[in-house]
Amino acid sequence: MFSFTKEQKVFDISGISIGGQPGMYPTVLFGGLFFKGEPDFDDAKRHLQTLYDLSKQTGVPVIPDFFIKKVDYIEPILSFIEKVIPKKHPFSIDIIEPSLKIETLEQLASRKLLPRTIYNSIHIGMTKEENEALGTYTPEAAIIVAFNPKDRSPDGKIEVLENGAHLMEAGLLETARHIGIEKLLIDTAALSPGENSGAAIAALPVIKEEYGLPTGCAIHNVVEKSRWLNDFPFAKKTVDVCSNNTIPLFGGDYALFGPIENAELVVPLIAWQDILVSEYTENYFGINPTASHPRRKLLK
Amino acid sequence: MTDDYYPWGGEFTACEPQGCVAVALLNIQYNPPKSVAIYGSLKTENIGIEKIIANTISNPWVRFLVLCGDDIRGHRSGSSLIALHKNGIDHNHRIIHAPGAIPYIENLKEEAIKRFQAQLNVIDLIGEKQKEKIDAVIAECIRKTPPVFGEPYIAIRLKPQATVNLTDNRALHSRILIDYLGKIKKRGA
Repeated sequence: MFSFTKEQKVFDISGISIGGQPGMYPTVLFGGLFFKGEPDFDDAKRHLQTLYDLSKQTGVPVIPDFFIKKVDYIEPILSFIEKVIPKKHPFSIDIIEPSLKIETLEQLASRKLLPRTIYNSIHIGMTKEENEALGTYTPEAAIIVAFNPKDRSPDGKIEVLENGAHLMEAGLLETARHIGIEKLLIDTAALSPGENSGAAIAALPVIKEEYGLPTGCAIHNVVEKSRWLNDFPFAKKTVDVCSNNTIPLFGGDYALFGPIENAELVVPLIAWQDILVSEYTENYFGINPTASHPRRKLLK
Repeated sequence: MTDDYYPWGGEFTACEPQGCVAVALLNIQYNPPKSVAIYGSLKTENIGIEKIIANTISNPWVRFLVLCGDDIRGHRSGSSLIALHKNGIDHNHRIIHAPGAIPYIENLKEEAIKRFQAQLNVIDLIGEKQKEKIDAVIAECIRKTPPVFGEPYIAIRLKPQATVNLTDNRALHSRILIDYLGKIKKRGA
């Protein structure tokens, strides 16, 4: 287990603390909604309630991550967020297409939701128009994906953060700060097996030590892309859920754990892992867990 | 022989080594006829495209690349592949006029891309999901019996060159040489 020599930043994102030395704050979990098919809002409401209940019970902070894949979905999803997500609670929006990102930013601004928004994500594919839109409609925080297509090692991830790996004019960190976003969450970009998938985990302590910024990833994506696991459906679910453990174990601060349906398995698992980390880091490094930490909540 | 022809790995099925057609599947459940050389799914507009290039130019018998199914939302991998074939890459290694989110070719020499452009005819069936129609286009390609395109081209994956040298003396960094006794021999680049 780790403790870092670099001072670790802790960001308060609309009431949720993220970052810091391992063992201090609990791991933040992002649960994804609307990845597949048409958005089912009744179903989503039920899953969100479960997610928040689990968080309350365990002390593990949770943030819903809304995948928006079509322009037609922007309005209903943002209305759903306004209606269902507790006031002042943060959420993230996960969008791939730049034009959709811009349209969503505009609508988030007009609904005054930007102070609760985590923008998922900024990466080397950012267009000029997206950059400008972010400057006008600046979200509270952003996930910065350290994907470097030419070098998938931790060094390559640092390179893209630092100088853009010649793919951009400036590094991703400078670009995001220039836009005016200060609360930056680094995503170590988990790739498929065969593409240095382990580097996403190895890069967690490297990036934490280098920048002191909150760092995490969507390691469950590696499980999804491990096709050989399809022959072991029962184990696949277990592996998918347990993959998230590696993040707090390697000093990471948050996990994008995939579909929100897995919350009942993932949230207690991470609570368990956080307790394990906290016990050691307090004993060895003197890091006290915060009042809301699962260790204080669950171990009486 | 099959492995020699397809050295880069990926999610594909190799069929007829001397077939002239490769099929890239975009969001489609479809098994092409066994007379094709190779077929597999395309997901990403960077690493995925690189694998398709490397695994087609390594087999000179392959002269057609058929793209079928619905393009990948956001990534636009199919359209980006077509853009690459048509326009190549710019000085930043970005595929010219590619609509994908991160359309960069970083692990192949430009020579390999030029070979891909010369060897392969790309058949754009993006949006087409009907088995009969795709089968018919593949059959038509096979009927043309195009000649072999010279010798196989084995694309070497380019080694990244570090542009950031961390003055890092902490044991977390990956550029640390450790001897067989587990002692640190050298730190940094």
